[in-house]
Amino acid sequence: MSVKLSRRRALGMLGGAASGALAFPSLSFAERRAGRVVVIGGGFGGATAARYLKRRNPLIDVTLIEPAKRFYTCPFTNLHFGGLRSFEQQGHDFADLRRAGIRVVHELATEVDLASRRVRIASGPWFAYDRLVASPGIDFRWGALAGYDEAAAQLAPHAWKAGAQTKLLKQQLEAMPDGGVFVMSIPGNPYRCPPGPYERASMVAHYLKTHKPKSKILLLDAKDAFSKQPLFQDAWAKLYPGLIEWVPLAKDGKVTRVDAKNLEVETEFGQKHKAAVLNVVPPQKAGLIAELSGLTDASGWVPVKADTFESTQQPGIHVVGDATNAAPMPKSGFCANSQAKVAAAAIVASLAGREAPKPTYVNTCYSLIAPDYGISVAGVYTAADGKLVEVPNSGGVSPRQASDDFRKLEARYGEGWYRAITQDTWGTRS
Amino acid sequence: MKTNRNFPAARALGVLIGSIATLACAPAAHAQQRDASVLAGACFNCHGTDGRSPGSIVSIAGRPELELATKLKAFKSEPPPAGTTIMNRIARGYSDADLEALAAYFSGIKAASAAPRAKVKGDGK
Repeated sequence: MSVKLSRRRALGMLGGAASGALAFPSLSFAERRAGRVVVIGGGFGGATAARYLKRRNPLIDVTLIEPAKRFYTCPFTNLHFGGLRSFEQQGHDFADLRRAGIRVVHELATEVDLASRRVRIASGPWFAYDRLVASPGIDFRWGALAGYDEAAAQLAPHAWKAGAQTKLLKQQLEAMPDGGVFVMSIPGNPYRCPPGPYERASMVAHYLKTHKPKSKILLLDAKDAFSKQPLFQDAWAKLYPGLIEWVPLAKDGKVTRVDAKNLEVETEFGQKHKAAVLNVVPPQKAGLIAELSGLTDASGWVPVKADTFESTQQPGIHVVGDATNAAPMPKSGFCANSQAKVAAAAIVASLAGREAPKPTYVNTCYSLIAPDYGISVAGVYTAADGKLVEVPNSGGVSPRQASDDFRKLEARYGEGWYRAITQDTWGTRS
Repeated sequence: MKTNRNFPAARALGVLIGSIATLACAPAAHAQQRDASVLAGACFNCHGTDGRSPGSIVSIAGRPELELATKLKAFKSEPPPAGTTIMNRIARGYSDADLEALAAYFSGIKAASAAPRAKVKGDGK
């Protein structure tokens, strides 16, 4: 670092309040003029935003705040349940982001001071910003589903954030006796990773078919249709006949009460289902810090401007990823990365006094149904009249009639996608 | 400054990019102007950062511009070229002008990573 300016003085000159004892490298003149950006969250959205801000303008001072020293991705954790990947293969560290010149702080962001534009971390220090990017992911609406709270999740895991919950569900699956029923409670829209529950069912089926062929999977769903539904159902009939039963809302599929101690759920019309392993995907909302910072609306999600992903409620704050209400874009890691790149370009332009470039967003979600059987959905989106729209005639799912080679190729491309996007986001090789 | 971190192709093309050097001489932008580096960003998620794929999906960095443009536009035909899985669905989301800008962008990037990734550590800028 070049300029001998104390942290306190540097922050003072920038209008930030210096407090706490965290090492905070002093800033050069150019860096101060280029601006400071704080990024909350080191997942697909946050890590990408940090990387692409720095890449577009290396003089911008970028701080990434993420508690985890190693970030475990949700995408591809279902392959872990299928026995196709280790848990550690899901982990990505932040060394390459540091090499790119980003200050990575492994703490939880606890407070955003909107008036003086600074973010506080759990141990006390504040980080001042000119622009803030928040990519806080999801939190669960504990209690929205009767009987399902954090304690219940220790008995009936959600495994909808990768980490200890993933390991717990995997252990339970492996300990399950042959002939047991794996029950999954699936929420209504919107939630993180729309095809995720069905890919999970497929991967659990792959494991059970191989190791516990007398077992069954029961999917209790709070909705009547789901992402890539015909493709999943065709594949289940072909690969796992009689193994997976899907109960839609209309057939009393909506779980309204969870008894985690007895591994039992009750549906809307009073049917009870006993599980050997109970996986509850709970109702969701934007990550807590978004709510605390006045970014969410009555829906519990964050409304954003379609062309820049700047908050419609708090100027100077861009929110990307699962926390946003970005419909028709789904809540996916690909979307978060794509939104983060557009937001980074918009922030760099804005700090330099320019207009943001025209946005284009893309989503691609591969789902693996068996080791050689992949399917996908894709979408291309842009902003029109202030709204996010899917480009007409673009996107869509894999064809329903396709050869085995086609499914095999998509399985292979799914793996290629994971390697590409994780390297693009964290700089890691997986 | 390492070229692979600063959208070298975009610079070569003279389209808007964010490095300070370019900012200083960039013409004043109109709102919502096409920026090939923004268009290209989403491609990286499957084809690798800067179009250099680390996995099973084809690399597109450094391929001849005409070849890329022709292939990209062909994905929009019905039926798409044999062997297509997803690119027909994605290519239909772009105008021909967008696809041409993408072809120019990726053709301007060196095919192989020129610099090792670990050298930035401790750089004193």
